[in-house]
Amino acid sequence: MTAYGNLHMAFEQMRVRSLRKLHGSPAPEGEPDSGAEPPRVLILGPENSGKTTVCKILVNYAVRSGQGWAPMLVNVDPSEGGWAVPGALSTAAVSGPIPTSSPANPLGSAATSAPTTLASNALLPLAYWYGHEDTKRNYLLMDRLIRNLGLHISDRFENDPEGQTAGLIVDTPSSFASGPGATTEHRQKLIKACIDAFKINVILVVGHEKLNVEMQRTYGSRLTVVKIPKSGGVVELDRSYRERVHNYQIHNYFYGEVITPPPGIKSTTQGGETLTDLTLAPSSTAVNFSDLKIYRIGAETMAPSSALPIGAARVISEMQPVLIDPSQPGSGLLNAILAILAPFNTDERERYDEEILDLTVMGFAVITNLDIAHKKMTILSPTQGSLAGKTALVGSYEWQE
Amino acid sequence: MSMYQNYYAQPSYGSQTYAQPPVANGYHQFPPQASYPVDPTTFRRDFSNRLSELTMNSRPIIQSLSMYAHDYVRFAEIVAQCLETHIRRVPPWMKLPSFYLLDMISKNIFEPYARLFSTFVIPLFLETYQQVDEATRSKMVELVLTWRTGSPTGKELFGVPAQVQIERSIWGETSSSPASTSQSNGFITKSQVLSELEFTLGQKERAVQANPSDTTSQNHVHVLHQLRRLVEAGVSQEELKQILSQLRNLMRSSVTPTISQPSQVAPTSTSQWPSQSYTAPQTSLPPAATYPYAYPAIKTEDAVPSKPILPISSVPAVPAGGFANLLSSLVKSGILSNTGTPLGAGATAKDESSNSVDEEREASRTHRAFVLRHPVQLSTAGITKGRPPISEMLYDHLASQCKQCGLRFPDTVSGKKLLEDHLDMHFKQNMKANLNIGRGHSRSWYTSVDDWVHDTTDRKGKGRADGSRPLSGKAAAAADAAKRDAELRAQFVIVPPGDEAKPISCPICKEALKSEFLEDDEEWVWRNAIKKDERIYHATCHAEASTNTLASRLLNTGRSRSITPEAQVLAVKKSSPSPESLAGVKRKAGDDHSPLSQFEGTPPSKKLAISA
Repeated sequence: MTAYGNLHMAFEQMRVRSLRKLHGSPAPEGEPDSGAEPPRVLILGPENSGKTTVCKILVNYAVRSGQGWAPMLVNVDPSEGGWAVPGALSTAAVSGPIPTSSPANPLGSAATSAPTTLASNALLPLAYWYGHEDTKRNYLLMDRLIRNLGLHISDRFENDPEGQTAGLIVDTPSSFASGPGATTEHRQKLIKACIDAFKINVILVVGHEKLNVEMQRTYGSRLTVVKIPKSGGVVELDRSYRERVHNYQIHNYFYGEVITPPPGIKSTTQGGETLTDLTLAPSSTAVNFSDLKIYRIGAETMAPSSALPIGAARVISEMQPVLIDPSQPGSGLLNAILAILAPFNTDERERYDEEILDLTVMGFAVITNLDIAHKKMTILSPTQGSLAGKTALVGSYEWQE
Repeated sequence: MSMYQNYYAQPSYGSQTYAQPPVANGYHQFPPQASYPVDPTTFRRDFSNRLSELTMNSRPIIQSLSMYAHDYVRFAEIVAQCLETHIRRVPPWMKLPSFYLLDMISKNIFEPYARLFSTFVIPLFLETYQQVDEATRSKMVELVLTWRTGSPTGKELFGVPAQVQIERSIWGETSSSPASTSQSNGFITKSQVLSELEFTLGQKERAVQANPSDTTSQNHVHVLHQLRRLVEAGVSQEELKQILSQLRNLMRSSVTPTISQPSQVAPTSTSQWPSQSYTAPQTSLPPAATYPYAYPAIKTEDAVPSKPILPISSVPAVPAGGFANLLSSLVKSGILSNTGTPLGAGATAKDESSNSVDEEREASRTHRAFVLRHPVQLSTAGITKGRPPISEMLYDHLASQCKQCGLRFPDTVSGKKLLEDHLDMHFKQNMKANLNIGRGHSRSWYTSVDDWVHDTTDRKGKGRADGSRPLSGKAAAAADAAKRDAELRAQFVIVPPGDEAKPISCPICKEALKSEFLEDDEEWVWRNAIKKDERIYHATCHAEASTNTLASRLLNTGRSRSITPEAQVLAVKKSSPSPESLAGVKRKAGDDHSPLSQFEGTPPSKKLAISA
C-alpha cells in the first residue's frame, strides 16, 4: 500500500501543478514550470494482478482528497462490466468514491431514475459495444473503439480544462499484457492505440517484469514507465467465477443491486443509499422484427486472415456490419445481449458507410423470446421507451435470467 | 387621539424600504401623483364602488385599492369611513380581504391611515372576530401578530393600547372592559402565552422545514418545545411575563429588517437578558429588534406619551432556577441576536458566496503546498521509499464528516458550505425516495455523445466556471438559452379569482396552462404564462413566436408542442402503427427531455422507421 500511496502523491502533485499552470500562478523557485501535465495513466498487468483494484484505489484517493477532482476512468477491458455490461468499453468521470463492496458494479453504477445519494451510483458513462470477451477476437474493432473513446475524451477535456487536470486512468484487459506469441503484434498495437488515444504519460505495470522491460524499451524514452508491486490480496479467479460475475453484472444492469437485509432488519442503507432505491424494474416489450435493425460486426466465426488460402480474400471483413434477419433459424439472437445504439447523424451529408462502428451505446437489451411465426420478439430493456427505428448491435454475449 | 398624533409624528418613512407580510411591494416609493381635481363626493362614490369589488382575497384588487388610497391621501378620512362601513356591511366571509386591505394600507402608507384606522379598528376587529369561522379567526390572529411590529419603526401598528386590547380579547379575557385593559397591571394568561408560543413555534418549524440544515432554527424549535412543556406544567406570573417578552423579541428579530448593529447584539448575548437596557437616542427610530418590550412598559408609555421608548429597567429581575437556564439557552442559541435569524443567515450566506471563489483558491493553494512538500519520484524505486501522508490527506485534513454516507469535508468555511450542500442533497433525495414509494425505478439510457462531452457540471471548479472560464461557443449558447428559458418559465400570471378551475390553453401551442399555488404569495398562478392583449400565452411560446418568423417556427420542432409534425407523419405513414411506436410518440408528450424521445422526430430515424 505504501507504493500505491506514493503513487497517489506523485499523481496529486501532477494534478496540482497542472492546475497551477492552468490558473497561471507562478511556479516556486527551482521548479520547472514546463511539463505540468495531469496524470494520464495506463495500467497494464497480467491476469489476477489487481489492475482494476489499483484503478479504484487511485481514483478513490483522488476524489476523496476534498479538492473536487473528478478523474476520468476508462475501462477498455471488455470482460469487465464497468458501468455497462460485459462486452462494452466505457468511460466516465468519477466524482464520488467508488464503493468496492460488490463485483456487480465494480466501478460504481450508471445513472438510474432512482434518487441516489452517492455520486458514484449516478455516473454518466460513454460506452461502445465491442461485444466479445476476448480482445483477440476482433482487434481491429477494439483499436477503432479505443480511438473513438479517446477522441470524445479529448473533446470533453477541451471543453473543460479544469476537469482535465484531474487526469485519466485507463484499466486494461490482461490480454494486453501477455498472450500467445502470435498475438504479440496485435496486443502491441492495442497498447499503442491506448497511448495515442488517451495521450498517456504514465504507464503502470502491475507485477510483470517482462512486460515492464518491454514497455521501458518501447516507450521509456517518451513517457514514464513504473512497475508497481502486485496487490498482496489478489485471489486467483477461475473461469466459472468470472462467468458468474458476468451474469451478475448483466443482472445488475437491468435489475439493480438487489440486496436483502438480514431478517429482523427493516430499513437499511448502504453507504447512505436506501436499499429499495437500488432495485430496478426493467421493462419487457414485444416488438416487431421490423422495428429493430440488428447488426453484427464481422462474421460470427472468423478464421484469421493468415489461415485463408493464398489469394483469397474474406467475403465479410472484420469491420463490416452485417444485418441479421431474426426470422432466419440460427440467427443466434435468442438470449443475446443487444447494444442499442445512438441514432445516426442527423445530417445526411455527414453519413458514411461504417458509421455504425462509431455510434455510442444508449443502453443494453436482451432478446428473451423470438416468435418467428408472428415476426415478433420480446425484448427486456432497462427502461420504458420505444426501440422503434433504432439500431442494435449483437455480440457474442448471451444472458438468461 | 392626540397621543397617537404625538406617537406617530415621526420623520418621514417614505424612503424606508421594509418587507411586511403578507404583502411586500415597493410602490410607496412612487412619487405621489399630482392630485386631480376630484371632489370628495366623487371620490367617496368611486372608492366605495371599487371597494365593493373586493369580495374575495385577490391581491391585485387589494393592491390597486391600496394604491388608490395612496394617491388620495388627502381623502384619508373618507377612505377610513368607507372601509369601516364596508367591513361592517359585508357578510362575515367577505370581511377578511377587507382587513387585508386595511392592513396593507396601514403598513405601507401608515401616515395618516394607521392613525385614522386605529379609532375604529379595535371594535371592528373584535366584532368581526366573533362572527367569523375558526379558519378565518386564525388568519386574523396571524394578522394581529404582524401588527405588533407593523409600523415602519417596527412597533405596534395601531399603537400599544389597541394591540393589547385586541390581543387580550382574543385570548380569552373578553370580560375585561376595554377601559381597564390598558390600566391593568399586565396580567398575562397562560393561554395567551401558549398561543404565542404556538405561533412562534410554527414559524420556526416552517423555517426548519425550508432549510433543514439551519441548526439555529432547529435549536430554537427545541428550546421552544421545552418552554411549552414548562408553561403547560404551570409557571408563575413573573415567568410568564418573561417568556412572553422573550418570545416577542424572537418574533421581532425575525420579522423586522436587520437594523441593529452587532455591537448592540453582543452584550445581549452575553449578559442576562432582563438587565439590559435600551440606550438608543430618543429621537432616532429605535432598532426594534433589540428592544425587549414587556407589558409593564405600557403604563409608562401611557403616562409619558412623548417618550414612548423607555429603558425597561422596570422589568423584574431574573428568577433563579431552571427558567433562567432555559432562557439563557434561548439567548445563547442566538434568538436574541439578529444574526441568528434566518434573515441574518441569508445575509451571511451571500457574503460567503462572494468569498467562496477566493476561499476555494486558498484551499487549493494550501493543498498544493502540502502535496508538493512531499516529493515522490515517479519511478519503480521511488515509489517504495518513504511513507506517504495519505491518512493526513484523507482524514486529518477533512475533519467534518457526513453522518449519513461518511463522505468527508474540510473543516473550513467553504468546506462547511460543501457539507451543508451535501446534507441538503441527502435531504432532497430522501424526500424524493419517500415520495416515490411504490413506483419502480429503472436504469436510465446513457447520454448522447454531445451531452457527455459537454457535461462538465460535476467537476472541479464549479464555482469558478461561471465567471473566469470562457465557455465554448456552443455551451455558452446553450447556457444562455437555458437561462432565458428559466426566466421565461418563472413568469406567471395570477389567476383571476373564480377562474381557478376554468381550463385555459395557450393560443400558440394549444396546450392547457396548468395553474399552481404559489406558497409565498398565497395565490393561484399560471406558471410560464404571460398576458398580452387580454389573452394568456405560454411565456416561452410567446417569446418564441415574437422572435422567430413563422416559417422558422414551423420548421422548428417546438419544445412544447405535443406531437411534432415529423412524428405525426411517422404515425400516419405507417399503415398499422405498432403499439410501441405509439407509445414512443406518447412518451414524447410526457417527457420531452429524455434522450430517446428526442430522436424520435428527427428525419433520419423517421426515414429509417418508414423504410423498415
